[in-house]
Amino acid sequence: MMKILIIEDHLELARNIQDFLAREGYVCELCHTADAAREKLALFRYDCVLLDIGLPDGNGILLLDNIRSEDPQCNVLIISAKNALDDKIKGLEKGADDYLTKPFHLAELHARIRAIYRRKNLEGANIVRFHEISLNTDTLEARVGDRLLDTTRKEFDLLLYFLVNKNRVLSRQSIAAHLWGDYTDNLANFDFVYQHVKNLRRKINSAGGTDYISTVYGLGYKLKET
Amino acid sequence: MRLNNKFTGWYLLVMLVVLLIGGAIVYYEIQWKIGSVEVARHQRLNDLIAQQIRTGGNYADHPTRKRATVTLIPEDSVPANLSSFYTRGTGWNPEYQANEYRLVVTSFYQINGRTYRVSTYSFIPSFGQLLPGVVDSFKWILLLLLVLVGISGRLISKYILAPFKHTLRVIESFELKQKQTLRLPPTRTDEFRQLNSFLQRMTDKALEDYQSLKEFTENASHELQTPTAIIRGKLELLMESDIRDDQAVLIAEMQNALEKLSRIHSSLTLLTKLENYEYQDQEPICFSQSAKEALDSFEELIEMKALILTTRMEKDVFLPMPSSLADLLLNNLVSNAIRHNQPGGMINVQLSRAGLVISNTGMPPETPTDELFERFKKGNPGSDSIGIGLAIVRQICDLHGFPIVYEFRDGRHILAVSFIQSVAASKLLQNVDRSLYTEA
Repeated sequence: MMKILIIEDHLELARNIQDFLAREGYVCELCHTADAAREKLALFRYDCVLLDIGLPDGNGILLLDNIRSEDPQCNVLIISAKNALDDKIKGLEKGADDYLTKPFHLAELHARIRAIYRRKNLEGANIVRFHEISLNTDTLEARVGDRLLDTTRKEFDLLLYFLVNKNRVLSRQSIAAHLWGDYTDNLANFDFVYQHVKNLRRKINSAGGTDYISTVYGLGYKLKET
Repeated sequence: MRLNNKFTGWYLLVMLVVLLIGGAIVYYEIQWKIGSVEVARHQRLNDLIAQQIRTGGNYADHPTRKRATVTLIPEDSVPANLSSFYTRGTGWNPEYQANEYRLVVTSFYQINGRTYRVSTYSFIPSFGQLLPGVVDSFKWILLLLLVLVGISGRLISKYILAPFKHTLRVIESFELKQKQTLRLPPTRTDEFRQLNSFLQRMTDKALEDYQSLKEFTENASHELQTPTAIIRGKLELLMESDIRDDQAVLIAEMQNALEKLSRIHSSLTLLTKLENYEYQDQEPICFSQSAKEALDSFEELIEMKALILTTRMEKDVFLPMPSSLADLLLNNLVSNAIRHNQPGGMINVQLSRAGLVISNTGMPPETPTDELFERFKKGNPGSDSIGIGLAIVRQICDLHGFPIVYEFRDGRHILAVSFIQSVAASKLLQNVDRSLYTEA
């Protein structure tokens, strides 16, 4: 069970994150100011901290030092509306593990948290499993049972995204943003998402795997237990 | 032309005119003075001769008679109202046996009831004889002035224009980004003081505006992205609840609109950032490498649309631009070429030191191609894009002084970026045309 501290001054956004992550069985605590965050960090230990840069009582980047001194093992993911490159670099230099720009998809946030977690916890955590499907995030190999799937990089990313966010509806927008990043005026052409998903399902099927991915009418896709 | 040269030039021109007029005045003044002194002398001489006649006696060999003619004339042949007159002209000089310029003064006297005409003459310098002297001296004056004005113009302007030059240097090194107010030296010249205070006010205002614009951009970005993120999160949570199909469609439509909103917003923020971006000297980056990476990242999309990609890329094309902007430029151009293509169409990318040309097949645009560089202009109004990609492309090109052109011809969209400021991008098209058709 992961314990997560959400430092975010926008109550609604923080609650969104909390709701979403709670379903994954994470324990989330919220705080809305830098002072409150300092207090919590001094008293408790967290596996991961979601840190907003723009806090009412100070720049979140300054909190990074606090977090690092309290618990060097703690993972920090910066969530910021400031898509300023220097903030990003500064944050990562100061020891943040990742940087996510608002507005983000909650599924994306979850995938990032899992990715950080996998990087930090090496004991077998580089294997992500779902029934007979297993993904090795180090070698980028996807297997169905023992059979190696011949996936492209994008297909691997897509499958990993599904596995991490299993039993959740993933919108096409969320998948597109995950696969192609936030290029300005980018190719939000959902045909591409459709194509990728179709190819992936075909490959899993032909490797003898079960097709766990289903289409959710109007919305997107879902990887679920059959 | 430099300011002091201009001043000196005009000054010399004025001097030349003044010297010409002055020369004429001097010449005539001298001529007149010589004449009037000589005339007065001869009138006194004539008076002296008349005095001698009055006293009687023989003065024939007297020195006064050397150049004098005394004639007895009838009383009625004396011109009316005239006691004396003079004439000038060439006359025979018996001493030199030559014609010379001669001044003759003739006076009339009534002595003892008889009328005498006394005329004496002397030789004076003629117009022609005086002229070379005048011209010569003015030539020397002109030469001297030329040299002095030339030298002093240079020295004085250096001294007077020093504050101006300093101001120029300060402005040249002024940059909004450094947020430093302009520091100009005090000067006693009114005009320069005016200029300096104007510049000071202007740059202060610009700094202020820049700062508030930057703050606005950052605030807008922050304040708008957060609510968008909240809505998006709520929709995602709603999506997972037990919903009916028709509700799902509603949610999907909301998500689409939201996606568009957030993309428009982040694009506009980016554009604003680019517009306020100051071009600074930049380490050259390998543009060929960036182009290759951009094409690689779109490989799957190109395959999916069954497009045929042909490239001809020179290696080691280096450009002084930030790699993030190079990526943005390439991603926008390549993704446009893919998106506005037709299934089974082609994309051709040509990169050289002269520039980049990307052409692709596609439907003819419904708006003139020039206008497509403007914000929210779309070639096909029904399309999914927000129509800001090309505005960003042009902004990046403008920043680096790259001319850019977009043409549609023979069923192909051709976008050319010239890497050389002085070479129009359309020039690239001429070279490309040939290779395009030989390859296709």
